[in-house]
Amino acid sequence: MQSFAIFFRSYGILVVTVGLFVLLALSTDGFLTFRNMRNILDQQSTVLIAACFMTMAIISGNFDVSAAAVYIAAPLVALVVENATGSIPISILVGLATGFAMGLFNGLVVTRLGVNSFIATLASSFMFFGIGYLVSGRSIIRPETAEWRHIARTRIFELTTSTWFAVIIVIIAMVLLHRTRFGRNVYACGANREAARLAGVNVSRVQVQTFVMLAVASAFAGILTASRTISAQPSDDFSFVFAVLTAVIVGGTSIAGGQGAIWRTVVAVFFLAFLTNGFNLHQIDPIWQRLIEGIVILLAVSVDAWTQRR
Amino acid sequence: MGRLNLAHCVNNPLLVLDNVEKRFGATVALTGVDLAIYPGEVHALVGENGAGKSTLGKMLTGVHSPDRGALKLDGAPIHLSNPAESLAYGLVGITQELSLMPTRNVTDNIMLARELGRGPFVNDAANRAAALAVMDKYGLAVDPDVIVADLPVSSQQRVEILRALSRDARMIVFDEPTARLSAEEAQTVCDVVRQLAAAGCAVVYVSHFLEEVLAISDRITILRNGKHIRTGPASNESRESLIEAMTGSTLSDQFPTPKFAPPDAEEMLRVDNLRLDGTTAPINLAIKAGEILGLSGLVGAGRSEIGQAILGALPAKGTVALAGQDISAWSIAQRIEQGIAYIPESRRDQGLMMMRTIQENVGLPYLSRISGWFGLSHRADTENARINCENATVKYGALSDDMTTLSGGNQQKVLFARARLGAPKLLIVDEPTRGVDVGAKRKIYDLVADMAAGGAAVLLISSEMEEIVGLCHRVEVIANGTQVANFQRNQMTEAALIQAAFSGV
Repeated sequence: MQSFAIFFRSYGILVVTVGLFVLLALSTDGFLTFRNMRNILDQQSTVLIAACFMTMAIISGNFDVSAAAVYIAAPLVALVVENATGSIPISILVGLATGFAMGLFNGLVVTRLGVNSFIATLASSFMFFGIGYLVSGRSIIRPETAEWRHIARTRIFELTTSTWFAVIIVIIAMVLLHRTRFGRNVYACGANREAARLAGVNVSRVQVQTFVMLAVASAFAGILTASRTISAQPSDDFSFVFAVLTAVIVGGTSIAGGQGAIWRTVVAVFFLAFLTNGFNLHQIDPIWQRLIEGIVILLAVSVDAWTQRR
Repeated sequence: MGRLNLAHCVNNPLLVLDNVEKRFGATVALTGVDLAIYPGEVHALVGENGAGKSTLGKMLTGVHSPDRGALKLDGAPIHLSNPAESLAYGLVGITQELSLMPTRNVTDNIMLARELGRGPFVNDAANRAAALAVMDKYGLAVDPDVIVADLPVSSQQRVEILRALSRDARMIVFDEPTARLSAEEAQTVCDVVRQLAAAGCAVVYVSHFLEEVLAISDRITILRNGKHIRTGPASNESRESLIEAMTGSTLSDQFPTPKFAPPDAEEMLRVDNLRLDGTTAPINLAIKAGEILGLSGLVGAGRSEIGQAILGALPAKGTVALAGQDISAWSIAQRIEQGIAYIPESRRDQGLMMMRTIQENVGLPYLSRISGWFGLSHRADTENARINCENATVKYGALSDDMTTLSGGNQQKVLFARARLGAPKLLIVDEPTRGVDVGAKRKIYDLVADMAAGGAAVLLISSEMEEIVGLCHRVEVIANGTQVANFQRNQMTEAALIQAAFSGV
């Protein structure tokens, strides 16, 4: 029983996702086609980019709901700069720098002021949404240059650049978390903060770094979306971060910190994407989709709680 | 203070323990203990740290249930599996950590979950009157309308006692009730205890303050290493007789013989005028390579804080020098890198990442040594963990197993494996054998002695006097954050250490 719990905790999401994949491949014609797979990859690229670093932030013992606000505000800043300068590299850099500054702000509020990370990032979300409205003058911003749309939509070996960016960033994040001293320290901070501190880990610095990386990743995801839709629009829509958090939690990363893996988050992103895709292909009412998604999250968290208790 | 007529209460014991035993994993906490508690008596439990007195107290209130033996209440066997059940029998425990609602007033706290009223409506006046009635009955007054958080700790304790009494408590177990209190506050607790006994309640009093125990108890039970040494009238005991019975006198072969450090050995640690926040007396220490210096004293005397200050984990004034180099301004990471290894008091809370692997736990402080441009060297990491776990005699299945798969002793040894990996100039160990079974203890002592023999200076913080006497070259006794005495190896006896430890109280 115990070994089953351990196995299920580590590989349950993979088993379930492969099962769903096979089921959909057999039950529909449209699922297992190159076109459909390519679309799924392209659509999930932005969530993937942010979810890797969200996994890291949660493992280090924090929660960050401001990823949605960064995702919306940073591309607005980038497009304003693009409109002013006409330079795509400069606008992307400024957009990422905006993410960097926002992540730094989150990290410092959490580590220096000791505010609970959920509350701190909820508050900063509203500030960042506000910044989005301010820089855009409350209106949609469209790029001046024709090349803006190519950031995310250029095809390389049949896949979009957006997909390739996601692949590269997922690999970078995995290497960082699993192959470096920084990654070990991330786990240590979440697993036992005091033990990490007494072992010489600079807990505050590690946590600030995770916030910064997540915010830069969210900013980049926002820029990719703005390229894909050839516009950016201010709003206070939290749905991006919910999609990201859903993937991380369904992927079995412990919300208590100290445990989790990026590959499982990646698998969970595809599990959720297959689920949506399957509903669409079977032409099931999207309302059911929400219900099922809610149940899936509850199941994932219950499994987590159950394996913790054993 | 009127003493009770003992002959009268011998007739009807309230609670009887019959040959009880309690194990935690492989550790035997209590074995073969017989005990009878009578109504109206103050019954003290004394012993060294780890002797089993708290475990026994907790067994009386259902926190722990015995693995063997029986409990009898009024002559009838009972089984207590949790504190709620014992509460129903009128057996209550009062610990240092109070279970009050700090933001509510005294009446609400006393009447919690038994509020008087009609249907869903609570009658405040009736509750207040009921609370006052209990105070009257036992002569314990507290203002019923004050918010609990605004009361001093001793009065908060009184509120908790009143809550117990309002539920018809027949026996109250106090576990170190005065450990956090000032002298005057402690006196009021002692008065309350006598009042309770005078009102017919049985009081079990767990404490390491011997003077207090001698002053308020009718009978005293002495425990050592989980065994019942004796129970007798307090009037037959003295401070000296208690200490002798608590410590025994055997040191036999539980300890490795410490190798003496050559007198010209390099001074590895020098602490000058170390002052922690809130303490007045400065601390001065010096340890040579190969030397084991003990820091002895009671729990809460401020020994762990000294260790943490040397590591840089607590802010302190004064200078700390490691092998002649002033490190006072360095971060924890720098101090560890330059040769301080630290094994904290609580391995679960301060030392280990329980849900992570053995390998990660061993390597954590020293990852920079195996980290290059291409990330961590996985091979070096595994090799480091394997060799050091082997040297520290850790028994494990695989290095990728969680810490939770190991026994307490082996978990502790993982921390020693980590320290060995650092090859430190100074090793600070705080309570290295707490919660460790007898067999693993000797191994851990060997590891400490071994690291000293290898040229490290060792600072051994322990409240087990036996451990200090058996293992250390020198000892400094700390009481109330101050150095009160020091002994060379040939002058050390447990009795001398305990005398010194209590002198500052």
